[in-house]
Amino acid sequence: MEKKSVKGWIYILPSVLIMCVFTLYPLIRAILMSFSENYSLIKGTGTAFGLGNYQELFTDKYFLKAIRNTSIYVVFVVPLSITFSLIIAVLINNSGKLKGLFQTVYFLPYVTSVIAIGIVWRWIYNSQYGLLNYFLGLFGISPIGWLNETQYSLPALIIFSIWKSMAFDILIFLAGLQTISKDVYDAAKVDSTPAWRVFFRITVPGIAPMIAYAFIMGIISAFKVYNEVFSLFKGSAGPANSAITVVYYIYDQFYNNFNYGVAAAAAVVLFLIILGLTMLQRGISRLVKNKNS
Amino acid sequence: MEMKRIGATILTAAMATSMLAGCSSSTTETTAEPATETSEAATQEATTEATTEASSETATAEKNIEATEITFWHAMSGALEEELTALTDEFNSTNEYGITVTLVNQGKYSDLETKLMASAAAGTLPDMAQAYNNYLTEYIDMVVPLDDFIATDFDNYEDILESYREETSEFGFIHGLPFNKSAYVLFYNKTMFDELGLEAPTTWEELEAVGEKVLAEKNIPAFGVDDRAGFVEATIRQNGGTYLTETGAGFDSEEGKEAIEYIMNLYNNGYASLPADGEYFSTILSNGQIASYIGSSAGASYIDTSSGWELGVAPVPGNKENAAYAAGTNLVMFTQDANKQLATWEYMKFLTSTEATTEWAIATGYLPVRESAYETEEYKAFMESDITAAAAYEEKDYLFVTPTFDATTAVRSQVNSTLEELILNKTDAETAFNTLLETVNAQY
Amino acid sequence: MNKTSTKIKKIIGSIIKYLILTLGALFTILPFVWMILSSLKTSSEIVMAPPTFFPAVPQWSNYVKAWNTAPFARYLLNTVIITLCSTCGVIVTTILSAFAFSRLNFPGKKLVFSLFLSTLMIPGEMLIITNYITITKLKWIDTYQAMIIPWISSVFYIYLLTQFFMQVPDALYLAAKVDKCSDFKYMIKIMVPMNKQAIITIAILNIISSWNSFLWPLLVTNSDEMRVLSTGLVQFQTEAGASYELIMAASCILVMPIIIIYLFLRKYIIEGVTRSGLKG
Repeated sequence: MEKKSVKGWIYILPSVLIMCVFTLYPLIRAILMSFSENYSLIKGTGTAFGLGNYQELFTDKYFLKAIRNTSIYVVFVVPLSITFSLIIAVLINNSGKLKGLFQTVYFLPYVTSVIAIGIVWRWIYNSQYGLLNYFLGLFGISPIGWLNETQYSLPALIIFSIWKSMAFDILIFLAGLQTISKDVYDAAKVDSTPAWRVFFRITVPGIAPMIAYAFIMGIISAFKVYNEVFSLFKGSAGPANSAITVVYYIYDQFYNNFNYGVAAAAAVVLFLIILGLTMLQRGISRLVKNKNS
Repeated sequence: MEMKRIGATILTAAMATSMLAGCSSSTTETTAEPATETSEAATQEATTEATTEASSETATAEKNIEATEITFWHAMSGALEEELTALTDEFNSTNEYGITVTLVNQGKYSDLETKLMASAAAGTLPDMAQAYNNYLTEYIDMVVPLDDFIATDFDNYEDILESYREETSEFGFIHGLPFNKSAYVLFYNKTMFDELGLEAPTTWEELEAVGEKVLAEKNIPAFGVDDRAGFVEATIRQNGGTYLTETGAGFDSEEGKEAIEYIMNLYNNGYASLPADGEYFSTILSNGQIASYIGSSAGASYIDTSSGWELGVAPVPGNKENAAYAAGTNLVMFTQDANKQLATWEYMKFLTSTEATTEWAIATGYLPVRESAYETEEYKAFMESDITAAAAYEEKDYLFVTPTFDATTAVRSQVNSTLEELILNKTDAETAFNTLLETVNAQY
Repeated sequence: MNKTSTKIKKIIGSIIKYLILTLGALFTILPFVWMILSSLKTSSEIVMAPPTFFPAVPQWSNYVKAWNTAPFARYLLNTVIITLCSTCGVIVTTILSAFAFSRLNFPGKKLVFSLFLSTLMIPGEMLIITNYITITKLKWIDTYQAMIIPWISSVFYIYLLTQFFMQVPDALYLAAKVDKCSDFKYMIKIMVPMNKQAIITIAILNIISSWNSFLWPLLVTNSDEMRVLSTGLVQFQTEAGASYELIMAASCILVMPIIIIYLFLRKYIIEGVTRSGLKG
């Protein structure tokens, strides 16, 4: 790369401006809010500065539950969604004339109304006549109250979310697959390299940056999961808050309980967790890169 | 913690508000005579006017309101919005001052709440809006007190149902007028009740008996509630207890204990159930999976009887006392401009007049806010055909809302989820009672 | 012998491949089909238990009813304007920023990039009220710019395109430098065409999110003249329940244009454009 020059700043200036006004500024205010006692949205200040909100946060059983649930959620949703999406994307890419059709079909969940998705999944999970229990019944498994019992609400949320995030991942991977030159595949064909080998030696490295992107974005958005909870459980966080997530907690504290300071503190904690994880991820991938080269 | 009925502060704020209102209008306009005076003077003037003039219409004509436009933020959609538009159009075309009301639909209640909160912070509140009391705690000093308006220029305030008047004066001054009001009633499957030889329960014992019979004969729960927190409060009140006080839970008493015991027994015996699979009870009742439920009278139109069963509606069962939860918002004024305040007041008076509230109630299924509206021929005829309205009418003297303290909203959501957890775990009554007490007190 | 066994293997492979794809597709498309079928049901069919899959008699009148409850024509116009402007804005700012982050070297680059990324980690729910106040102070309430400007830059897409731009071999850049091609020209002439499919993917993603965005447009508008399609959906929800059949009909109306746009743009995504890029 060439020597440093301020020219780059001209390129990023429009984004930086928008970002400062509409993200950074409110972000700083949120951080200040988290250290203010009895923050009033109207006055824009609190009565004093301190760590009270954080103390309150870490003694709230629902927050701790939210952290636990969200962590479990991330661990399952992100890798599974990426793996399935990668397989489907590669299969679609090799499906000849049907490619266009499959591509369109797998894209549709992305445009389906959230309300429709919520209703359909509630029907799939219905304890009496849901699709899922019907299939489980074929294997002799007795009906499960996916949405009614506290121990099943989080698994229900996870399955639903994997389905939901796949459409996006597939779209990204398909775009990535187009960047791999056909010649490389043709060469592999001539050598009659086994398919799995092609997949691991050509496909995966070829779209490694998109996988990394999907991974980081997956972690970030999985930590911020809210809409999925809201639409699956119709505005609640599952029976007895059993599927509460951190952002659900933040939303509830902010908009329902007017606990602005606590909500902001929870957002800051979430921010730090995600930041730590992405830094860890980048560190690891750098290590791997160095080792390989 | 500290309660939101901050009488003294509010009154000071109210005075400042009306004085400010006087200033702003005197600088802009001198013709708006009563408005340029302080509110007290305006009061006297209006009173003298009212006494000297024989007909109140002439009196209002003397008010000299400048033609103006006012905005009203609401959350009424579909058929409700149509009726609100019709009423507003009528007001716009018939009022003698050239006042034009612009309706702005701000989405669902939660959207309206968010937008009001953001606007309060940005200093851009509308002239008036629909609001639940708990929306307002953060910016109650921006709400225009209506006491003077009511004292000088309102048709028989005592005619407004007492429970509504209590609700709109709990901040220490009158902050609104009731508008779209509903009540929680018992919806039941009359066909099933008839088949089992049951009557709609009127007391706790009767409800338990119904539960036992329905479970035995039909193997389904007899009873559900849409709003668990509201049900807890209603049950405690029905037993003569207090739900919340300024400082914490009010039900640490025999009455409270009995009430929670009764609730837990209903669920633990299988007489009552939580809404399964994320459905509304209106749907569950429609599908014959439950025999009855307590829900908002405004939800009656979502009960579907097309599969061939008859719906029955009854007042909620009571015990030592009767108590039924009331829902729905009030009309609240924010405008600080004296002329606009007068104009907004004209519109608020119009919407809460006997004629308008009757028309509104018949068209939407909400309840009239005035005693006199219940006495009109139109509404009596309506109740003949509308069993929900008839059941709600029987409740009109014992409706209640949760008092608004700092902790009220948090208590509400915590009681909802805590009770759900207790029910799911089939907790015994004693433990449930202690857990609920702790939960409520922890919110203060 | 060996030849036939590979052939059989290949056929079995194909069968498995299409089986997985078809099953997955059925599962994927189910909610979408459900949405369409529900939009044709009566209000009692839609809440029936157990649910019926097909409506007994398709209720096309739901569409008429849904369309007539709100000034949807005006909403459609607004939605198109906002989506078009914000997507164009996003494409421009994203290309510029991604190019700078992937190719140029400037002071504070790493810091800015990390800062950009970290903004994604704060839940948007925390930012809304402050942004509303900002919009009010700018006197942008009830204007198009309120719904466009805050959304014309997205770290989400900048990061994505940066990943794509990094894939372009350094050799091309160095060659262009030798040819005295300016950075800007290199970006327009080589980077953009080479990553056309990524840019179109970003356009599609942004069109969808802009088209469907709900809370923000509702917050920053007051008049019917400025409202958008998604805000029309609330017409069918009330305090006590919702008319699901009308919501579904309105949702179908809402997504049809997006699907058409997608089908139209899809062929650009499928076409491998790598080679045409190399020519430049």
